[in-house]
Amino acid sequence: MDVDAVVLGSGLTESIAAAALSKAGYKVAHLDVNPYYGGDNASLTADELVSWADERAAAGPSNPSYASAQRTKFTSISRSGSTLPQSRQYSISLSPAIIPSVGPLIDALIASGVSRYGGFKLLEKVAIYTGPGSVKPVPGSKEDVFKSKELSLLDKRRLMRFLMFAAGDFEGKKEFEGKEHTPFVQFLHQVFSLDGQTAAAIAYALAFCVSAAEPTLPALQRIRKYLRSTGRYGPSPFLVGHYGGLGEIAQGFCRTAAVSGAAYILAHNVFSIEIPSQSEEGRKYKIILEGLDESLTCDLLIASSGYPLPEFPRAVTNDSTDNESSNIHPIARAIVVVDRPLSFSSPEVPPASTASDAEGADTEEEEQTPQKQELDTALLVFPPSSLEGGSSVAVASVLVTGEGSISAPKGKWVLYLSLPLLEQTTRSAEALLRPYVDATLSLTVPDSASPTSTQPLFTLFYIEHPDLPPSSSAASESQIPSILAPLRSSTLLPEQADSATTNAETLFWKAVSALKAAGRRPKRRTGEGEEEGEEEVEVEGFWPPLDIVDDPEEDW
Amino acid sequence: MHGVKRVRYSREALEAKKQKEQAKLKEYLSLNDDVLAKRNAGDWSKDAFDLTTRVLHANAEFYTVWNYRRDILINSIFPNSSPSEVHDRIGDELSVTTSLLKQHPKVYGIWNHRRWCLANIPDGPSDTDLDGWRKTIWNKELYVVEKMLDADARNFHAWNYRRYVLANMPMKRPAQAELVYTTRKIEANFSNFSAWHQRSKVLTSLWEGGQLDPHKSKEEEFDLVKNAMYTDPGDQSVWIYHRWLVGAGNAYDILQREIASIQELLDEQPDSKWCMESLVFYKRLLLRHHARQLSEADRLSLTQECLRLLTGLQDIDPNRRQRYEDLAADVKKIN
Repeated sequence: MDVDAVVLGSGLTESIAAAALSKAGYKVAHLDVNPYYGGDNASLTADELVSWADERAAAGPSNPSYASAQRTKFTSISRSGSTLPQSRQYSISLSPAIIPSVGPLIDALIASGVSRYGGFKLLEKVAIYTGPGSVKPVPGSKEDVFKSKELSLLDKRRLMRFLMFAAGDFEGKKEFEGKEHTPFVQFLHQVFSLDGQTAAAIAYALAFCVSAAEPTLPALQRIRKYLRSTGRYGPSPFLVGHYGGLGEIAQGFCRTAAVSGAAYILAHNVFSIEIPSQSEEGRKYKIILEGLDESLTCDLLIASSGYPLPEFPRAVTNDSTDNESSNIHPIARAIVVVDRPLSFSSPEVPPASTASDAEGADTEEEEQTPQKQELDTALLVFPPSSLEGGSSVAVASVLVTGEGSISAPKGKWVLYLSLPLLEQTTRSAEALLRPYVDATLSLTVPDSASPTSTQPLFTLFYIEHPDLPPSSSAASESQIPSILAPLRSSTLLPEQADSATTNAETLFWKAVSALKAAGRRPKRRTGEGEEEGEEEVEVEGFWPPLDIVDDPEEDW
Repeated sequence: MHGVKRVRYSREALEAKKQKEQAKLKEYLSLNDDVLAKRNAGDWSKDAFDLTTRVLHANAEFYTVWNYRRDILINSIFPNSSPSEVHDRIGDELSVTTSLLKQHPKVYGIWNHRRWCLANIPDGPSDTDLDGWRKTIWNKELYVVEKMLDADARNFHAWNYRRYVLANMPMKRPAQAELVYTTRKIEANFSNFSAWHQRSKVLTSLWEGGQLDPHKSKEEEFDLVKNAMYTDPGDQSVWIYHRWLVGAGNAYDILQREIASIQELLDEQPDSKWCMESLVFYKRLLLRHHARQLSEADRLSLTQECLRLLTGLQDIDPNRRQRYEDLAADVKKIN
């Protein structure tokens, strides 16, 4: 098979790039050694997750291969022995994420048409953990601030003043001058007189800082992005993708790539990459896959630095152009399945006399919101030092997803815990995360039939290590194949999706110019029937214009 | 919306859309001619009625056709129907307006047709229960208005309609329930003149009717409005409601307390125009109504403060500079 570009690995970044190249008119072959899409971002059924974990926990040969690279990437794996019934009704994500409503990924989903393939759930609530059994809601909008019974009047004013500041063009304001590198928590205290729980809520549950040391500028930039995302689809700025989020989205991009002519080959390993001695269509590389007779020829290879290739150890550098390197740490992760919902009930008393008088007389009025509101899709943040036995430096987060995000069966919830490891540690993932798991489980709504404490149905712990930064060399003359690698995505929960998208766009343009240098241009079909042919076109943008105008008008 | 990129469509896609629109336009113009011709000919047939349905779906603001539709109902359909059939027909009419309102929530003609429907519910379902149908349908109206206000809490058509329904429904609801409703709307988004206005109407009726102690209730209101003030001192609706609460300013203690509270807010937020303006207003109320309780020195300092605030306002709100100058001249003249 002869193509322009071969993409190895179907993680989110690679899938977006494959779709863009394919839609632009290039011939693309997209490969993945796994029998599923998504790579390290995949959504797996419960059984698939167990296999995934066991394969990486098992010892194996250390010769360079995808399997051994995965064993280096995912360590300290431990899991409960139980198996989950209804395995196929789970879509468990290897990279849980929340997606801002205004941002590169949403733009890409719309511009590529992939938005038509999938659904999303709005995040319902965000809260911070303030002590045993105690959770405080995070005010993220004017309504939240107004209604809050916890904030004093002055705190309300200060918090609102800060939110207005953060949502605007703060770069020129005098409050911000000289403070770009000040730790954000300190900035909140010095400039806005915000302290304690309010400052913690802003820093860790609005700006998603991972520690108190994080500087002000990136934190403010993130807050602004999220504030500007509220209201587009609902009161929360964040969406959670159905069927496990990023894995399903990656699959959507693969689907649109296939519709535009890309070839997909799953479950086959790369056996070798050769420089063809005689010109096969003038192509630079020839790839042979295990178990397939047909070889692939192409001019460009694309693969993330985490996708190792046999015989070609990848060049790595301490490349400082790698973006957001300060936000890329190992992360301790846990996946916990429970059969009881969580509740972030605040200790509020129902409103006084006026309401209860009216209630009796008024049968059509909506029910009072129940004291313990069960959550389907929510986020709980543990600030540093908020939990005995937890980290005093880093912020842990728990993403709860239930049936509403079509990633768990009815009556079951999947909890994703993550804790960035900012300091070297020899402790196991389970030891690091156990206190957080217990604290989270204490927030489940007790079942009246069996009021004992909640036991999880399934737990999996592991540590995810970042891929090494890709090298920036473009060795076109050397014998070693030059592989174009995307920059690594941010690992922050609300940043990962957008980061993958911007990296995919950068990768796309690099690919376009690499292919141009190899004398290749994208082609589009012209004419119909007998006159069908191909013409070369220019690449105008990241995505070509959409071919159907979505018209919401009904017929009359 | 801010930060949202425009989607690009191909030339072919835009052309196709334009063709579709041209076809629709042609169809509408022929419908228009058709329905007016029928009306002018006095056609009250079923076909004519169905034609009005099609025209109104295309253009719900075409009030001539709403009137024509009602003519057909009154002159042709109702006289030939049993009360039960009339009742069903009214139900259908209401459904039609509901679906139209979802797309066009601010069209007078649609709301108007609903009122007409409500006014034309026949007696029934039986001789012993002549109000049954009316009660059911009117009760449902409140639910429909609530849905409309959930979609857009500031739609004055919906608020007016709500007041109309509450005032005229056969089984009246307690005013307390309406108070709870306004609380809910204000909590959802207090930048809503209509909700505050409704609240003031309901409270007035509850105070006058003796169902709520005005003193205690006012204290709760001041607390509510203060939370709103501190959350967003820039929201005018809050200050208007506050002013209504203070009223003529006859309660000396309340006036002093509110002035102090607003001053605290101004200290925290020195650029707040509404704080400054309200302080001037309330201090002048003090001077006007409670001069006897104030010492000469107090009166002098109040006047000075008003003048100082008005000077500050001229800087903060230069568009209304002349107004503040006028007010200052007024203050000086009287005091």
